[in-house]
Amino acid sequence: MLSRTRWLSVPALLWLAFFFLIPLLLVIALSFLERGTYGQVVYAFTLNNYSRIADPLYGEVLLETLAVSLLTTFLTLLIGYPLAYHIARLERGWQHTWLLLVMMPFWINFLVRSYAWVVILRSQGVINTLLLSLGLIDQPLSLLYNSAAVLLGMVYALLPFMVLPVYVSLEQLDRRKLEAAYDLGASPWRAFWHITLPLTKSGVVTGSILVFVSSIGMFVVPDVMGGAKSALIGNVIQNQFLSARDWPFGSALSIVLMLLSVMLIFLYFRAIRVQEREGREER
Amino acid sequence: MKKIHLILSLLLAVGLALGAAGCSQEEEKVLNIYSWADNFDPDVIKGFEEKFGVKVNYDVFSSNEEMLAKLQAGATDYDLIQPSDYMVSTMIKLGLLEELNKANIPNLNNIVSTFQTPAFDPEKKYSIVYTWGVTGIAYNKKFIKEEITSWSDLWNPKYKGRVILLNDPREVLGMALIKNGFSNSTKDKGQLEKAAADLKTLVPGVIAFDTDNIKQKMIAEEAWIGTVWSGDAAFIHAENPDVEYVVPKEGGTIWADTLAIPKGAKHKEWAEKFINYLLEPEISVKNYESIGYSNPNEKAYPLHSEEYRANKMIFLDKKDLDRTEWLTDVGDLLPEYDRYWTELKSGR
Repeated sequence: MLSRTRWLSVPALLWLAFFFLIPLLLVIALSFLERGTYGQVVYAFTLNNYSRIADPLYGEVLLETLAVSLLTTFLTLLIGYPLAYHIARLERGWQHTWLLLVMMPFWINFLVRSYAWVVILRSQGVINTLLLSLGLIDQPLSLLYNSAAVLLGMVYALLPFMVLPVYVSLEQLDRRKLEAAYDLGASPWRAFWHITLPLTKSGVVTGSILVFVSSIGMFVVPDVMGGAKSALIGNVIQNQFLSARDWPFGSALSIVLMLLSVMLIFLYFRAIRVQEREGREER
Repeated sequence: MKKIHLILSLLLAVGLALGAAGCSQEEEKVLNIYSWADNFDPDVIKGFEEKFGVKVNYDVFSSNEEMLAKLQAGATDYDLIQPSDYMVSTMIKLGLLEELNKANIPNLNNIVSTFQTPAFDPEKKYSIVYTWGVTGIAYNKKFIKEEITSWSDLWNPKYKGRVILLNDPREVLGMALIKNGFSNSTKDKGQLEKAAADLKTLVPGVIAFDTDNIKQKMIAEEAWIGTVWSGDAAFIHAENPDVEYVVPKEGGTIWADTLAIPKGAKHKEWAEKFINYLLEPEISVKNYESIGYSNPNEKAYPLHSEEYRANKMIFLDKKDLDRTEWLTDVGDLLPEYDRYWTELKSGR
């Protein structure tokens, strides 16, 4: 059966080979080459690009990126979990409506949505104009171009990546286990903590990894809503390919970032495996 | 998903086939331009097509680096490109430009003498200045009552949180270098370090770094003062008359977009004829009044409208121009500029 359907995977494999594997190998190769005086790539082997990353400056940029990403993940979880919980408790028809609302922003280009936030938050924007005309403030508030605005933009952009997986795991939750807990006298909070949360862990892990990995490479939100004032690793990599014309160094930074992401995905798979084993034991 | 991929790959295959078919029709009268968006008056291009029976194709890029990357990756379809000043010198050194055949461009002499021998093309073989401007200070009189004369005015604590800078390492570090009395393209690490240290004291008062939307931020009065290109300043002033523009006493960076021909261009002669056509005084008046940039064509000057000529953001004073300096390629020091830029952005 397997061998008869194997050819079905050929288009996908070819696609991946041409548009993923080969470019990836090129990036790896590029990261070991030298930058010429005028920004051309010189075909001479060097480890310099990687030793330059050891510069504490790039370590700190990476750490700050990780901190922002962790905070984004935490906030999306804090907002996304209750929302998913609410949706999972609704009637079927309403569930579909709510899920549609969660996904709808994806129909509009992300850059456009970021600029929409600028229109809302800037000093002559919707919020400030409203507050000024109501006489609640006499000076426009500085709502944009700070780290809070960056976080707002990131959480807004990535929330669906948290809500959808958590919703799926809540949806699959065996309600009888909760009923059993209540029958045995557990308080709602205790039932949630000991039954619901552990059984939806896979959704939380999936959502968190999706949000975290997406936020690591983000450079549009810091540029548009943060006024390009912070250097996140995505911005630094972008600069290497444009203003610095240092493709080898940019490639090396990308590889390091990629390894970091792969490591996280590996941890994620391990967490899932542990979870599945626990699940089997329970049954 | 796979279906989408299949459709995409089929489209790609069709595209490649069409591209290949296009290449075989070399005899056709075609001129392929690769330039910035909205850089010509469409009627001027149409006029050229009608006069010479040539079909003009117009592709756009949004940064010099994007254009360079595409040409380095082997794009050979283009006959005429518009690199900026520093990119011209880089491309000359990389051997990516064709020498211009000046016999095909008799109108070359119409260009004002200031731009006849620019520093980025010292032998004047490869490029012609198409439009130009100066990075100076734009400021909003409604909020700024003091007279603005110097780059150090950006550091005035009264404007803290209202300063805007271009999101470009060479422009911003170049500004700080000029402020400290150095060349904007220094290759001296000590000078660069001093300028970067100076900038670090300015960055906490910066509302944003922006190149693409700096105009909107000045018009909407989110920023009161900042580093702005003269052409953008003219645009901002038209929308918000409170915004003024000045070239600081220390001087500023001058820039130009040029006309040049990439190595291996298939319709080089048509490119040269197009350049010559653009330099006709009447044509250039029509072209530049439409796009709103500075015209380097000396013969065209008396033909321009009073309004266009009187605009100090389009026609800068001679004494302002004397204080300006071109950015030149800093070669091996460019990664060092980028490192300081990262340092500034990361607040360390």
